[in-house]
Amino acid sequence: MSPKRSDNTSVLGTLFRCEIKRLMRDARVLLISVFAPLVIVPGYILVMQWIGNSEEQRLEDTVYEYALSGDEVEWGGEIVSAALALEANDPDTSQAIARFERQQVTNADSLLESGEIHLVVEALSPEAYERRSSTEETTTDTLDPEEDEGAPEIEEGSDGGTASELQLPIIRLRFRSNSDFSRRAHDRLDARIREVRSELRDSVYLAGGFPVGREEFASVETENTASAEKEGGALLGMALTPFLLLLMLSGGSIMAVDAITGEKERGTLETLLTSAANRSEIVAAKQMGIIAVGVVVVVINVLNLLAYLVLGFLELPENLAVALSPLDLVLILILFLPLTVLISSTLLLISGYAKSYKEYQIYFFPLFLVFLVPSLAGILPGLDLRSAIALVPIAGVGVAVREIMVAEYDWLFLAIAFASTAAASWWASRLTQRTLLTERLISSSDLDEADLLGGPALFPRHVLRWFVGMWVVFFLTAIWVGGELTLQGQIILNLVVIFLGGSLLMVRRYGLDPRKVFALRPVHPAVLLAVLIGIPAAYFTGIGLSVLVDAYLFPVPQSVLEAFGEVMLDDEIPLWQLVFFICVMPGILEELAFRGVLLHGLRKTWSPVIVCLVTGGIFGLFHVDLFRLIPTAYLGVIFAAVVLLTGSIFPVMLWHFGNNAIALVPQRMGWVTEETVFPEWVFAIAFVALLVVFWIIWKFGIPYPDLKKKKPPDIF
Amino acid sequence: MAIANVKVEGLQKSFWDESRGEVRAVDGIDFDCQPGEVFGLLGANGAGKTTTLRMLATILKPTGGSASLNGYDVLADPEAVRRSLGFYSASTALYPRLTGRETLEFFARINGYPANQVAQRVEELIDRFGIREYAGARVGKLSSGMKQKISIARTIVHDPPILIFDEPTVGLDVMAALEMQNVVHELRDEGKVIIFSTHIMSEAEKLCDRIGIIHQGRILALGTLEEHRQATGKHYLEDVFVHEVMQAEDQRANAMASPGEPRTSL
Repeated sequence: MSPKRSDNTSVLGTLFRCEIKRLMRDARVLLISVFAPLVIVPGYILVMQWIGNSEEQRLEDTVYEYALSGDEVEWGGEIVSAALALEANDPDTSQAIARFERQQVTNADSLLESGEIHLVVEALSPEAYERRSSTEETTTDTLDPEEDEGAPEIEEGSDGGTASELQLPIIRLRFRSNSDFSRRAHDRLDARIREVRSELRDSVYLAGGFPVGREEFASVETENTASAEKEGGALLGMALTPFLLLLMLSGGSIMAVDAITGEKERGTLETLLTSAANRSEIVAAKQMGIIAVGVVVVVINVLNLLAYLVLGFLELPENLAVALSPLDLVLILILFLPLTVLISSTLLLISGYAKSYKEYQIYFFPLFLVFLVPSLAGILPGLDLRSAIALVPIAGVGVAVREIMVAEYDWLFLAIAFASTAAASWWASRLTQRTLLTERLISSSDLDEADLLGGPALFPRHVLRWFVGMWVVFFLTAIWVGGELTLQGQIILNLVVIFLGGSLLMVRRYGLDPRKVFALRPVHPAVLLAVLIGIPAAYFTGIGLSVLVDAYLFPVPQSVLEAFGEVMLDDEIPLWQLVFFICVMPGILEELAFRGVLLHGLRKTWSPVIVCLVTGGIFGLFHVDLFRLIPTAYLGVIFAAVVLLTGSIFPVMLWHFGNNAIALVPQRMGWVTEETVFPEWVFAIAFVALLVVFWIIWKFGIPYPDLKKKKPPDIF
Repeated sequence: MAIANVKVEGLQKSFWDESRGEVRAVDGIDFDCQPGEVFGLLGANGAGKTTTLRMLATILKPTGGSASLNGYDVLADPEAVRRSLGFYSASTALYPRLTGRETLEFFARINGYPANQVAQRVEELIDRFGIREYAGARVGKLSSGMKQKISIARTIVHDPPILIFDEPTVGLDVMAALEMQNVVHELRDEGKVIIFSTHIMSEAEKLCDRIGIIHQGRILALGTLEEHRQATGKHYLEDVFVHEVMQAEDQRANAMASPGEPRTSL
C-alpha cells in the first residue's frame, strides 16, 4: 500500500475547483449576491438622479408667492420690484429664472406658517422695527415651544443695528428653512435685494459727488489651475478605495461565509479534515476562493457601471475626466493587492471562528466598519503621503491611490503605504493559518492545553488583553482627570495605580513567581558599567535618529518637544521631586510593568527580535502623544533587548533612570536648551558606543531563560 | 514497507472545563490491531470513543501517549496517517451540491489517489455499491440510504489500508445497518485494518473480532468475545459489559473512600 500522493498543486487545484463549483451551483446565492447588485446599484443611482432632477424641475417651475407687510409697504414694493426686474432680466442663463408673484393678503405670517405662501417681505420704518423687535422678544417668551419650532425664520434684509441708528427703513425677509421652496425663494430674492441695495448706494455716492462706480473699487477674477483630469482624479481617487473595498468585502463574504462556517454547519468539515489534504492547502484553497469571488464581483460591478455609463443611462459629473496611464493602473493594482489578501484572510478568519452563519454575521458587521473607516482616509482633506497615515494599513493605500490618480508620485511613501498594508495582510494570513490549524475548528471545546494547565500557562495568552485593558484605563483617566491632576498626581496614578497595580493583579491572578516575572536576577558588574556608557550613547543616538526622521520622513513639530520641556522647566516643582517623579519612579515601575510582566508574558510567543519590537511598540503606545511614540518605542526596544540579553531587570532600571535624568537635569539647570544643536559627530560616536555597549552586555549577560525555541509548527 | 497496523500506547486527551476542572476524555488507552481484523471499541455515549478515534484521525491532538497508523506517528506525520486512513462517522457529511460521482472523484484526488486511475476507481466503486443509477444526481437530493452508500464509497475511495468507523450505524434503519455490517465484513476479508466503535452490544458481538470495553476514558477489558466470557463468566456481551463497568465503578468508589496516591499530572 503506497501512501504516495500527487503533487501539491493538483490537490490545491482540486480543492479550489471544488469550492468554486459548489458556489456556482448555489443559484439563489449567486442571484442575490452577484446579479442583484448589477441591477440594484445602477438602479439606485438612476432613481437618485431622477429624484434630484425632478426636484430641480419643480423648483424651477414653481412661481414663488410672497406677501408684503409692514408700515413701509410702498417703499418695500419698489425695492422688491427692482430686485425682481434684475432677476427677470438676468443675462446669466446657467440657472433658470425664478418667478415671483405677489399676494395681497392681510395675514401674511400665518399664511407663511401654513405653507400657502413662500415668503413674507416686511418693510419697516425704524420705529416700527424697534416696536416689532421688542414685542417679538416678549411674545417669543410666551410661545408654546412646539409652535416655536415651526416659527418662521427671521432674516434681515439690511444691516439691522446700524440701519436703525441711521433711521432708515428696513426690509425683513421671513421664510421657512424646512421648505426647499421657501428657502429657494428667500435665497434668490435676498441676493437680488442686496444687488439693488448696492446700486442704490452707488447712486447715492454719485449724487454726493463721488465719481466712482462700484466696479472700480476692486475687481476679482478667479482661475482654476487644476486640469479637468486632476479634478476628476481627485474625486474618483477619494471614492475608489472605499468603493472597491465594499464590493470586495461583500463579494468575498459570499464565499467566506460558506468556506468554513458553512462546512461546520453541514458537517462536511470533519470529512474534509480527515482527508489527506493538509490544512494549509485547505486554508489556501479557501482563501483563493474568497479572493477569486471577491475580485469577480468587483470586476462585474465595475464593468456594469462602465456599461451603464457608455450606454448613457448614467452621467458622470462633468469634470470626471480621468486620464490614467497604464503605469497608474499597474500601481493601483499593486496597491490593492495586499488589501485583497488582507480582506480575504480576515473573512476566512471569522468564518473559521464563527460556529454558525449567525455568528459569522455578528462578526462581519464590526469587521466591515474596521475596514471601511481607514479606507475613507483618502476623503480627509489635507492628508497627503507626507503624513504618518502611510503607516496605517488600508488608510495608506486609500491616500496613495488618490495621489496616483492626481498624478502625484511620492515613491518613498507609496512604498511605505504598500508595505504597511502588505505587512498587515501578511500578519492576518498567518493569524488565519494558525487559527484554522487549531483543533478549536472541530472540537466543541474552546480550550486547549494552556487552559488545561491554567495559571502560569494561561498567562502568556492573556497578557496582551491585560495591557489593552491597562491602556484603555490609562487613556480614559488621562482624558477625564488628567487635566485636573498635578504632574505628581498624574505620575502616581499612571505608574503606581495602573502599571504597578495591573502588574501585581496579573501576578496574583495567574499565580506567577514574582522573581521570574519581574526578572529579578543578579547581573555581572560589567553589564552595569556598560549601561552607564549606554545611557548617553542611546540618548544621543535617539536624538540623531529623530533628526533623521525629521529630515527624511516626516517633520516633528518643535512645539511638542517644547511642551515636554516646559514640564521639566517648571520652577514650581523642586528638582529633587522632578528627579524622583520623572526619573526614579518610571525607572522602577515602568520597567516592572513593561520589561517585567509584559516581556515575560510574550517571551515564548514570538522570536526574541519580534518580542523586542512588540514590547517596544506597546511601551510607545502608552505615551499617548503621537510624536513621543517613536522615541519611547525606540527606547522600549533597546530596554527589551537588554533584558533578554541579561535575563535581569536591574540594568534597564538603571538605564531608564539615567536616560530620563539626562533628558531632565541639564535642561532644568539651563546647560542646554531646546535650541541647542549638537554637531553630527556626536551622534556617530554615540551610535558606535551603543554598539560596543551591546557587545559587552551580550558578552557578560546571561540570556533570559525559556525563550521561544525553533520548533515545527504545533499543527497537523 | 510499513506494516498496515494500528498501535496505541497510553493515549490521553484532557480538556479543561471551567466548572468541572480537568476532564480526561481519554485517560491512557492501549491497544493494537492487525490487518484482516475488526477491532471494536464498545462503550456508552461519552466514554471516549469518538475522542480516541479523532486522535487517530489526527483531527485532535493527544495530550499524552502515542499512536501510530500504518507505521506513521499521529504527531510526527499526520498527513501520512490520513493518507493511510478512511474515516467514517455519522457526522462526516457530504457536500450536498456535488454529485455522487464528483464526490468520489474529489476525495480520491485530495487523498492522493493516482490521478490517471481516479476515473476507473470511481466507476469501480459505483458498481460495487450499486449507485450507478443516481451517481449523477446531487447528493443533497438523495435519500439517506443513498447518501450512506456514497459516504462509504467516499471513505474507501483512495483504497486505504486502515478504516475507522465511528458509530456508523447511529440513526440507520435495520436494513441500512445490515448493509453497513456487510461492507465491514467485506473490507475485513480484503485484509483491511478496521476499527469500529459502537454502543450497540449485538453489533459488536456480531462484527468484532476483538472488543475493547471503554468506560470513562479507559479500556476496562480487551479480548475476543470468548475471552471476555471466560474472564467474567457471563455469556452475553451485554452482561460482560455491565459486569466490567460495575467492577470499575466499585474500584473507583473504594479508591475515593481510601485516599491512595495522588493522580499523576500530565
